[in-house]
Amino acid sequence: MAKINKRSWAEPYKMKMVELLKVTTRPQRIKALKEAGFNTFLLKSDDVYIDLLTDSGTNAMSDQQWSAFMLGDEAYAGSKSYYKLEKAIQEFYGYKYIIPTHQGRGAENILSQILIKKGDIVPGNMYFTTTRLHQELAGGTFVDIIIDEAHDPYNEFPFKGNIDIQKLDALVKEHGADKISYVCMATNVNMAGGQPISMANLKELRAYTNKHKLKVIHDMTRVAENAYFIQQREEGYKNVKIKDIVKEICSLTDGCTMSAKKDALVNIGGFMGTNDWEVFEEARNLVVVYEGLHTYGGMAGRDMEAMAVGIKESVSDNHQKARIGQVEYLGRKMEEYGIPVVKPFGGHGIFVDAKAFLPHLTQDEFPAQTLAAEIYIDSGVRTMERGVVSAGRKPNGENYYPKLELVRFTLPRRVYTQAHMDVIAESVAAVYERRNKIKGLKMTYEPKYLRFFQAKFEQIK
Amino acid sequence: MRTLTEPFKIKMVEPLKVTTEEYRREALKVAKYNPFLLRAQDVFVDLLTDSGTGAMSDKQWSGIMMGDESYAGARSWEHLESVVKSLTGMEYIIPTHQGRAAERILYSIIGGPDKVFISNTHFDTTRANIEYTNAEAIDIVCTEADNVESFAPFKGNIDLEKLEQLIKERGSKAIAAVIMTVTNNSSGGQPVSMANMKAVRKICDKHQIMMVIDGCRIAENSYFVKHREEEYSKKSYLEIAQEMLHLGDAFIMSAKKDGLVNMGGLLTVKDKELSVKCQNLLIISEGFTTYGGLSGRDMEALAIGLTEVFDEDYLNYRVKSTAYLGEKLKAKGVPVVWPIGGHAVYIDAKKLYNQIPVEEYPGQTLAVDLYLKGGIRTVEIGSVMFGKYDEQGKLIAAEQELVRLAIPRRVYTQSHIDYVLDVFDDILEMRNQKNGYKITYEPQFLRHFTSHFEPIKK
Repeated sequence: MAKINKRSWAEPYKMKMVELLKVTTRPQRIKALKEAGFNTFLLKSDDVYIDLLTDSGTNAMSDQQWSAFMLGDEAYAGSKSYYKLEKAIQEFYGYKYIIPTHQGRGAENILSQILIKKGDIVPGNMYFTTTRLHQELAGGTFVDIIIDEAHDPYNEFPFKGNIDIQKLDALVKEHGADKISYVCMATNVNMAGGQPISMANLKELRAYTNKHKLKVIHDMTRVAENAYFIQQREEGYKNVKIKDIVKEICSLTDGCTMSAKKDALVNIGGFMGTNDWEVFEEARNLVVVYEGLHTYGGMAGRDMEAMAVGIKESVSDNHQKARIGQVEYLGRKMEEYGIPVVKPFGGHGIFVDAKAFLPHLTQDEFPAQTLAAEIYIDSGVRTMERGVVSAGRKPNGENYYPKLELVRFTLPRRVYTQAHMDVIAESVAAVYERRNKIKGLKMTYEPKYLRFFQAKFEQIK
Repeated sequence: MRTLTEPFKIKMVEPLKVTTEEYRREALKVAKYNPFLLRAQDVFVDLLTDSGTGAMSDKQWSGIMMGDESYAGARSWEHLESVVKSLTGMEYIIPTHQGRAAERILYSIIGGPDKVFISNTHFDTTRANIEYTNAEAIDIVCTEADNVESFAPFKGNIDLEKLEQLIKERGSKAIAAVIMTVTNNSSGGQPVSMANMKAVRKICDKHQIMMVIDGCRIAENSYFVKHREEEYSKKSYLEIAQEMLHLGDAFIMSAKKDGLVNMGGLLTVKDKELSVKCQNLLIISEGFTTYGGLSGRDMEALAIGLTEVFDEDYLNYRVKSTAYLGEKLKAKGVPVVWPIGGHAVYIDAKKLYNQIPVEEYPGQTLAVDLYLKGGIRTVEIGSVMFGKYDEQGKLIAAEQELVRLAIPRRVYTQSHIDYVLDVFDDILEMRNQKNGYKITYEPQFLRHFTSHFEPIKK
């Protein structure tokens, strides 16, 4: 195993403001978890020691961002801050027209309503919970066209986010190109474990979609992290700046949705981007109904300011090196303890294979949900299930049974230190030692949509 | 009488740009004569809206720094939830990124084809959200509101007789809800009395109809109840608001007004089953149930704002400083909606510009002139906002052609207001002009936000 060279990823920042944490006892945590129905989503953040639930909106902003934050122009229409945001998106991502939204799902809602017709097919490199739901609500059917390697947690293929063009071609042949709304292309595929798509694959996709006159819509919430992997792994990109790789990725697509709460280093915000004037015009009229006037789209002026600065910081080579370096550090630590983790390590977190961790549980006993609960009880570390609970049900009511049954350890950007990483790995190791004694869960409450957020569970006796 | 002073001092300022009339003439051309499309930096006094434009207190800014950005179960959420529960007396609190999201969630659940909503007056986004579900929205404000010049203490009241009559005509099953907008924005920021609210509650109970309170200016309304409704003169503003909100089955708030914040909204309901439906929709388009599309710091600021807004000195300053502008304008001979409401002064543009036909939008014309002459941004609330077309494409005009001068909370000083009054001297000289504006582009919904205009030259 390669040794970690810590010097290679020391943070290119120091702490300027801190937030105190509460340390809890094991009995307190057992009580809190029972009250939360064994769903880590329903825990109070005050009862959490290290919060790895998500990297979404949990980032630490820089002093530059806080300073811009104070400049926020809160005018209802034509705010200065909007123009700064528009300029940053045009400069760093290259989309011509932008529609701000309060967060990513606001953009997905608007885009889906405009581009998807009832009965359409929406192919994509693996589903994401809110994305697929908006596609389905607009009348479309999501079809997964990610390469098969993505479904194998131990396959070390460097670009497990790639699209299988043959799968796409089969869809085009079966349904005809006019039945396909667009190809939904995510950079750093979340549900596959934060795995990147290669530039070569993207170029191939562009060539194919050009031939069949299909749009490519970029789900770009972690585009800079994807760009880092291209720089590190793809031939010909070693000396290219992340900034330029990001721009090249965007240039191969026709529009985007973005939750800025990830890469763009803010706590709230999102946008939709397009190069197509007609789509923009329609979106501008829809955004007023759902989000807010098109020059704020549901964001405060100060949040647009912070995003404009965050976008710039996110495409810095040094930032991504430290960001992904930290994820890798945690992954290697876990590996040293013999914990089954998805390989290669992703960009925004480490994904533990709950099926391999708890082989004595069936998928109906929710192994990933169980493991997340056990880790919380052990140390107060909050993680998230990404398995059968998150996958939800098909429109016909049957459960989706995804191949991957994972617990996600998502790292907020610039928030936790190396010592926190050590505590996390040690806690998972402790749970691993007593894995054979762990019992599964049964679901006692299930909401209609996106059940993982609010479902409740009980321990099987 | 002594000068009304603010119960605060300035702790942070935002510099303004001073522009010339020539500069503004160009800016208007670029903005297609729609103040919504002007760049904010080209505006000197921005009276477009009091929504999200307020100045936060140092306590709120300190709350901003305390914001807990955890995705689920944040401390800031618990703080907000406890403040709102105590204010509304409702059990289920649902945060949203702003008011229209709360409206969309509730009305898409209880609305739909063949459903009818009855209100004192639906506001623009409310009506849009209701009509989007193919339901019908009917306004039945009290008859006192028809006469914009006469004084009546509660011109925001709903017409109780018409309400009973409508329920009889349509049948209570068809009525999705009665929505009480407090204060009543579209009819001049006029208050609703507690007596009217209680009577609506009674009627709703009798016919088993849901009662929704759209209370984005609930604190300002409480001011008027205390000063105009005898039995409430001894109660605190918070107690009055609590009593009123406890009457509703659901409460909707764009917190960008009386929440004293720049972003945020609330939906609260009494019924558990309804709350689950709302939460399901919330997660799809807004965010998880404990943040609903707001950052932790915004929830923290809102929790503090909802406490500050009921302060006696604050509300006294707020309502009296709005009246200061309105009363001075009236004294100058500018036709204003009377009495002055809580958050804004409404000018009767049809009367001021009585030579401009409604088809040429006198309200829009006045809004354009105010910007041209003084860099003042206002909004038309008339046929641009509420007008429709008949089958021949002829304009069905709104009942009134108003221009609203909305006062952001704790932002402008008396000198700014005196400046606005000076600009009206120029406007009064132009009152005999004959040419208005025509629309050259308009979207399907909420056209006032993005429409383009052109001056009519005869």
